[in-house]
Amino acid sequence: MTRGRVFALLLGVAGVLIVAFYLFGGGPDANIVTELRLPRLILTVFTGMALAGIGSVYQLMLANPLAEPYILGISSGSAFGAILFGVLGLTLLMPLGGFIGAVATLLLVWRLAQKKGSFDRSRLLIAGVIAGMFFAAGISLVMYLFQQDTMIILGTLMGNLGHIFTRGEWSFFLVLMGFSLLILAWLWFRAPALDIMSGGDVYAGSVGINVSRVRKEIFFLTSLLIGITVSYAGIIGFVGLIIPHVVRFFVPSGQKRVYLWSLAAGGIFLLLGDLIAKNIAAIELPVGVITAAVGCPFFVWLMLRK
Amino acid sequence: MRPAAGLIGTLLLLLILITGACGSGEEAQGRKRIVVLSPEVAEIVAALGGAGLMVGVTQECDYPPELAGIEKVGNFGAVSKEAILALKPDLVFSSALEQEALATDLAKMGLSVTQIYPQKLDDLPRVVLEIGNLIGKPAEAKAMADSLSSGIAALRAQTAGLDRPKVYLEIYRDPLMSVSDASFVGEVIETAGGDNIFSELERDYARVSPEAVVQARPDIIICYSRDSLDSILARKGWQDIPALRDRRVYFESDLDPDLIQQATPRTLEGLRNLHRLIYPGGE
Repeated sequence: MTRGRVFALLLGVAGVLIVAFYLFGGGPDANIVTELRLPRLILTVFTGMALAGIGSVYQLMLANPLAEPYILGISSGSAFGAILFGVLGLTLLMPLGGFIGAVATLLLVWRLAQKKGSFDRSRLLIAGVIAGMFFAAGISLVMYLFQQDTMIILGTLMGNLGHIFTRGEWSFFLVLMGFSLLILAWLWFRAPALDIMSGGDVYAGSVGINVSRVRKEIFFLTSLLIGITVSYAGIIGFVGLIIPHVVRFFVPSGQKRVYLWSLAAGGIFLLLGDLIAKNIAAIELPVGVITAAVGCPFFVWLMLRK
Repeated sequence: MRPAAGLIGTLLLLLILITGACGSGEEAQGRKRIVVLSPEVAEIVAALGGAGLMVGVTQECDYPPELAGIEKVGNFGAVSKEAILALKPDLVFSSALEQEALATDLAKMGLSVTQIYPQKLDDLPRVVLEIGNLIGKPAEAKAMADSLSSGIAALRAQTAGLDRPKVYLEIYRDPLMSVSDASFVGEVIETAGGDNIFSELERDYARVSPEAVVQARPDIIICYSRDSLDSILARKGWQDIPALRDRRVYFESDLDPDLIQQATPRTLEGLRNLHRLIYPGGE
């Protein structure tokens, strides 16, 4: 288990360094650290954790290494809802719009995934991709019709961790995050069942797992989580897809451990991405661009090394 | 070859119909037919007394109100070339940015296109003169250009040497965006006697970090991001900003954005209004 130890050590050291830089880089006033940087750090770490954690769950549940949190179309629906609220002038309510979009999409996709009352994995994927395309078209249309609001739209589509919180919004976000952490914990308890389910539904059923129910619960709860992250941080690609794979390089087996390390690595990786996005150029770059630009070469190196 | 003959016959018939249709449009006599694609130029043309010359404008051209009756050829970023051609304009005024490519296309189609995009306050009188000459109102243009130049110069003289309060203009909330001094409105702020806190940015209109705003401690906030005073006051970490402590936050209802963001004859009014907000005590 030396590999796992190395990974844990690296992650721990990197995490401490990144957090220190993120909060205190440039020697800001105490007010800025506590009121601006800390909330952003919390939003960023939470988003990275949720994306990577959900990614690891989906890859196992859908038996598809390309699965990521956005594959079921929830993110596009959520982004569409948030953007629609934004261009209609309800910028403060954009997270609410994102959440409504996510719930509407999840109900639609779930409905489409049913075949004669039973759940079908490939139908779920197809329904998700179709819903994603549909809402992407909707976003393009809104973008075309409301050209003066391009920044709001791009912020949502390319990821924007610089959400400005009012005090009320922040308290509300903390409540949502508490709820989300409960979901993340629940997913951890579901990890053994997921491991067994990856061996086939029949097998899982024979050892006493209510497969369709577990799937339904995971689908609904993760969709809520995705809705929350997209509402506040926009769509940030790559983290949910690659982090679980990277983790599996170091921690080869057991969803329980893969999941836990994905949470940690996802949060730290996104924090690093945001740190770079904020500081590499005079203007802040979209964090989604950075995560892909940093993560892809790293992943290629990891693959070549094997 | 009967099919071929039939085809040629049909084509001939079509040709006759098309030429007939084209010939039936009445010839404009004397008066210039002008299509204007930017609100700034439409306002200048109207102010020079040329509202009657405009046969087509874009959706955004909403001032003065008499433009409402003029045919719309699309919106700023999505203009219908066909609609413009159908109006048979003698002259098209286009802007820059998204309209750059459009201007090239229209010129290829044989239209006479003039690009007008005043980026500096000092461009304004020059642009007014240029438009005046093109639409046949040189005398009116001269008078307006002179009054603009002297008005701007007077304000500059008035604010020279004064203590400049720091101004933060917010054009977007999520993500936070402001303007640099290189933008038109940035220059308007400086000329009206304010000190724009983001004098240098990568672009004229660019993202800024909330941290930078809090650190700059602006004395005045102009908020065009559709946010409300209560919500700005409640933003985490913003409470120590002097503009918020003194409640010197101004919105669209306090200062019409068109007056300071667009280069038009009303810019002078915008400059003076902004000057009054910056120096409420008179000077």
